[in-house]
Amino acid sequence: MLPLGTELLPVSLERTPVIEAYKKDVDRTLLRENLKLSTEQRVEKMLAALRLVEELHRARRQAAR
Amino acid sequence: MTDFQRLLEALTRGGVEFVIIGGFAATAHGSAHVTVDLDVVYGRSADNVARLAEALRPLSPYLRGAPPGLPFLFDADTIGRGLNFTLTTTAGDLDVLGEATGGGTFEALLPRSIVRQVFGLDCRFVDLETLIQLKRAAGRPKDMERIAELEALKDEG
Repeated sequence: MLPLGTELLPVSLERTPVIEAYKKDVDRTLLRENLKLSTEQRVEKMLAALRLVEELHRARRQAAR
Repeated sequence: MTDFQRLLEALTRGGVEFVIIGGFAATAHGSAHVTVDLDVVYGRSADNVARLAEALRPLSPYLRGAPPGLPFLFDADTIGRGLNFTLTTTAGDLDVLGEATGGGTFEALLPRSIVRQVFGLDCRFVDLETLIQLKRAAGRPKDMERIAELEALKDEG
């Protein structure tokens, strides 16, 4: 088994123009609502959205037949 | 659809030492994105590798995207000879990583993790700052939007 390191490689966390540009499009209202929830509630909310996405995919497949 | 609860139950009840990274960790930190698989970094000790193999055995892990019928057995020997595995299981897609990009081994991530309860289980998630660091280290163009969201979460937190 290969020996592995115990330290993360140094990565710059400086602000970059690309990420700052993407940040302008982040919907912070969604994030603020999520931050009011417990971890368990955040996961449940994501799973509900995932179920909806899966259902839409299923409906699209069915419509294509 | 990935059954996150079943995957996490298998790992935690099997006594596997692991840290959750990726999209599911982002969800735990408040991300509004949907994620379709579970990414974990596991400890590489021989005992833990054996626990990982045993915990996942009932879920019939197989290499994701590989043609069916390959003689693939996700046992301690296979895990020991490999490092990172992208798996499909009967509970959905699971990435088990010995090391995430940027040097993210279990030992490196352990002090940078937090325990939160999900599905009634105590699960260990990489902290937000380190999640951003891992995403930045990966340097993938597709991650830029996610990094921006995670950094916004950090600003809001």
